[in-house]
Amino acid sequence: MSLLQKLKNSVRKRSIHVSFVDTASCNGCDIEILACLAPRYDLEQYGIYVHNNPRDADVLLVVGAVTEQWIDKLPMLWDKIPEPKVAIAIGNCAISGCVFHRPGSYTDPPVSKHIPVALSIPGCPPRPDEIIQAILAVAPIAFKDYEKKL
Amino acid sequence: MKKVVDVSIPLGPMHPSFKEPCRLKCETAGERVISAELELGYMKKGIERIMKGRPWQEVMFLAERVCGICSVIHNMVFIEAMEKISHIDVAPRAAYLRIVANELDRIQSHLLANYSFCYTIEHETIAMYLLNIREEAMDLLEILTGARVTCAFIVPGGVRYDISDDAIARIEGGLLRIETETTRYAKMFHEGPLIALRSKGVGILSPEEARRAHAVGPTLRASGIAEDARMHHPVYQTLEFKPLTRETCDCHARIMLRFDEIFQSIALIRQCLRMLPPGLIRSGGTCTRGEGTHFGEAPRGELGYHIVSDSYGRIKEISIQTPSIMNIEVCAHHMVVGVTSIADVMATYISADPCISCTER
Repeated sequence: MSLLQKLKNSVRKRSIHVSFVDTASCNGCDIEILACLAPRYDLEQYGIYVHNNPRDADVLLVVGAVTEQWIDKLPMLWDKIPEPKVAIAIGNCAISGCVFHRPGSYTDPPVSKHIPVALSIPGCPPRPDEIIQAILAVAPIAFKDYEKKL
Repeated sequence: MKKVVDVSIPLGPMHPSFKEPCRLKCETAGERVISAELELGYMKKGIERIMKGRPWQEVMFLAERVCGICSVIHNMVFIEAMEKISHIDVAPRAAYLRIVANELDRIQSHLLANYSFCYTIEHETIAMYLLNIREEAMDLLEILTGARVTCAFIVPGGVRYDISDDAIARIEGGLLRIETETTRYAKMFHEGPLIALRSKGVGILSPEEARRAHAVGPTLRASGIAEDARMHHPVYQTLEFKPLTRETCDCHARIMLRFDEIFQSIALIRQCLRMLPPGLIRSGGTCTRGEGTHFGEAPRGELGYHIVSDSYGRIKEISIQTPSIMNIEVCAHHMVVGVTSIADVMATYISADPCISCTER
């Protein structure tokens, strides 16, 4: 492995840029992601930065059972993220639809049907420390030796 | 006067300040907003349609997931509506524990709302302070109910878990910490000269407009009208609850009113814990056929459930009236109009504490 590749691997492990999209959740998962920003958990000490523009991000956090409005918009948003990229589904709604995946609802779960999902965090909602742990676990694996995979 | 529209500016659906997707379209002349329109529909899950035909045991959990920020009050109003229909009496100890859970939920929701406002006006110091003290409130909610967000604490006739003397001491310790810290932050917000520039005199909602457009909750009370569904709740009446108001009708008044209500909630919780009667926490009972409406005060305003149930306790018809839909329409049609810059549009919108997931359900 070249020195440059080693350097890239080590930097990508400690500098993770995250963007966040809400495809119709109940807000429970949203506020748990928001709680990660609090000084108690402090995302940025791990090198995780929250961006509002998907074009700046490496990791997309997806929350919620996908509604009709999001069926075409979610893949569009996914295409805007530059490579290498990874999507994390947060909460039971994003994994299976959970309580919202019933006859009569306007949702079309799971998220993995619409975009490729690398990791799912179960829970209704998952705790902030689980979310941070998952982001830190997936980033070194997903972004390691990315140039060789091309 | 003839309206001259320079440019129409859409804000959203994904915007840094929005927690949830929603589009606000502003017609502007220069940077002054002439009119604004809301575009909803990104979060419609059809939760009322899912609820129909299901037993109350399932609908109880669905009701909680109408809104994740104020989940305790949705649970409470639904269960109290079922109790009203089925004539179930609440165990006295449980009635007080419900108030404790509800007020803790209100504290964390108001802290979150004030965090969002401070973050929108780019005052990140107070924003992070508030978000940090909110974790303390979430801890207290976890001590009481066992979960941080969706706790399903309230059941017909009572509550799910009892509280121990040790937990009471821990909750009182936590409340003291929240009180001392929030007093500091409220003073910082009240006296900050730059905050005053961004919030005083911005987004004015006059009492007549508020009354005519049916604003609810802190948005209404910051315009000087004392309306609160808690005044009609029997347990709050024994606690001698009086709603708080502010007179200046602007963003500053709305945020300061939320700070005031946090201190009021802390006082209510202390009073409840002191008055907590001994005894059972569940009185039992069966949910039966009937029709009824019940209202409660959510952190954002008045929340109503209209329920028709059958003799097995299944929900035949349900309709939910949530507070945010009133407040964001009021915001788009009255508060935002006349605001002098686009940056203030966002701050004004956030000061109404919008919650799209309970607006659209």
